[in-house]
Amino acid sequence: MTRTILDIHVLQTVPPSNLNRDDTGQPKTATYGGVRRARVSSQAWKRATRRAFDELLDPSDLGVRSKKLADELADRITAAHPSIERTAAWGIAAETLQTATGSKIEVPRRKKKDAEDEAPETAPESSYLMFLSRRQLDGLAALAVEGTKGTDDLNALKAFLKAKENKARARALVDTRHSVDIALFGRMVADATDLNVEASTQVAHALSVHAVDNESDYYTAVDDKNTEAEKGAGMIGTVEFNSATLYRYAALDVDRLRDNLGVGLRDDESPDEPTRRAVEAFVEGFIASLPTGKINTFGNHTLPDAVIVKLRTKRPVSYVAAFEKPVAKHREEGGFLRASCERLAAYVPHLEEQYGLADAGSWVLRIGSDTAALAGLGTEMNSKDLIEAVGAAVTERLSSGAA
Amino acid sequence: MTSVLLLRLAGPLQAWGSAARFARRTTENAPTKSGVLGLLAAAQGRERDADLSDLAALRFGVRIDQPGTRIRDFQTAHHADSGKSMPLSERFYLADAVFVAGVEGDASFIEALHTAVQAPAFLPYLGRRSCPPVEPFDLGVRPDTHLMQAFREEPWHASEWHRARTRSRRTLDVLLDSAHGEPPHLSLRDTPVSFDPRHRRYELRGITTTSVEPNSAPLPGTPPPHDPTTALRKS
Repeated sequence: MTRTILDIHVLQTVPPSNLNRDDTGQPKTATYGGVRRARVSSQAWKRATRRAFDELLDPSDLGVRSKKLADELADRITAAHPSIERTAAWGIAAETLQTATGSKIEVPRRKKKDAEDEAPETAPESSYLMFLSRRQLDGLAALAVEGTKGTDDLNALKAFLKAKENKARARALVDTRHSVDIALFGRMVADATDLNVEASTQVAHALSVHAVDNESDYYTAVDDKNTEAEKGAGMIGTVEFNSATLYRYAALDVDRLRDNLGVGLRDDESPDEPTRRAVEAFVEGFIASLPTGKINTFGNHTLPDAVIVKLRTKRPVSYVAAFEKPVAKHREEGGFLRASCERLAAYVPHLEEQYGLADAGSWVLRIGSDTAALAGLGTEMNSKDLIEAVGAAVTERLSSGAA
Repeated sequence: MTSVLLLRLAGPLQAWGSAARFARRTTENAPTKSGVLGLLAAAQGRERDADLSDLAALRFGVRIDQPGTRIRDFQTAHHADSGKSMPLSERFYLADAVFVAGVEGDASFIEALHTAVQAPAFLPYLGRRSCPPVEPFDLGVRPDTHLMQAFREEPWHASEWHRARTRSRRTLDVLLDSAHGEPPHLSLRDTPVSFDPRHRRYELRGITTTSVEPNSAPLPGTPPPHDPTTALRKS
């Protein structure tokens, strides 16, 4: 079987920042090559990528990951039939979701204080975050309305969903027409594992290419209303941070992505076009996004200094081992970027030759003279052209039947 | 006569859980049989509910070339509406570790697994999806041999800095499926019966711990070690 796989390699420098912290507030770290490195978890960067999709894709291509999907579904039901009351719509939505996913959807237990205050009723929720595509939610809303015949009759819906074929339809609705983000990052449904979707991407934890020590910023804040008699700070504290040149890596299994996106399409709909859109959105989202941890404290908005994208035919390859020996800062000018690029420029051709790693396309995006060493690793392009070129190469491979 | 397929399992992070459930995801000190067989099954493109009896029947062993350190990752999720953070899970990883894992079995089956590993149907990872392996990953097939022999002949795959630190210690720990009838030194519930997410099942596995002195020949392609401080240390 011929495969179509992309791997994406990014070098990105971030100034003092705390992109992703642990439960003590320290930026996350890991040991590699015997020294401590800055680390940003794969979960943090996947979330940032998913948020970037809001700008890159049509909302109908995306999913909603929430405990409050019953509320989301109720919105659609009342939009179709404004005569249905909110609380009745919640009941109908909860019943439909429960049938479709096998998960319990219940009104969360009200706190005593809320009950005393006669706080308004709240929507039923699932006990964990559920991930459904907007098209799946639209489908469920239509089914619910069909079941109640546009009324607020919950018993009619229950009877309707009891029928075997309607139950199967509800089930099929959440197992087909997955959104781009579900197809890329996968889905876990704890109560119905046959509804799981296997992710088509693999995102590694970002690691600094050099040794890093976390630093601590001691700060004081002055109270504007202090009088001469009250000297001293109104508040003191510390913020932990580090700065790093990060190596980021992700792999995308395009064949699997197409399988995930193709489930439930009509016979006359090809998954190739949605696949191209998803590939382009992932490449762009992964390259340009940044986790938002403490971003207002540090203002560490940076973009990658260098990006290498490879189209592979057998399996993806991470280059992180190039940085197993920590990069030392430049003797005169400081900085880690130039040495990191030189490392990669020497490592990549050697690795590919030693293991006979063929690629079916290789693109490079780089900034400034420090990254000059990478020029030979692929066709140089700006970000927009690179994303389009990758999308076009993938489409051509898929349509030529390579997958 | 049996063949052996060797894999070098190395990367910044790996995670090999054997009894990890719910919010606390631990890792063993070395790759588990279920983890490595899962990787092979995935390479072959087997679905999660596929039959695994042929894989489970392979003899499994792992050599600890560089033990690494354990790190704890505290993961949170944010509520979609309130933005409130919710503790989700505590995950443990092995950082900076290098292992050589091997499976021993019938020559043609081992060859088939090797072919699969070179062009895997599902992307390989070291116990958790966010832990991709680094090269060299697939060390190839050793024909007409058995696991212990393969481990003895395989060069030491530890990193340069680790070798420098442990110059005097040349024996490596090996964890091996116990032979039939042999009393195991320890046991772990990690022989997979089914990876079906609806009903994952594992059987107990007897493990014999031993050690080998690996082949002292340097790894191909590595420059000779140059460390001028050795002279200072000796004096």
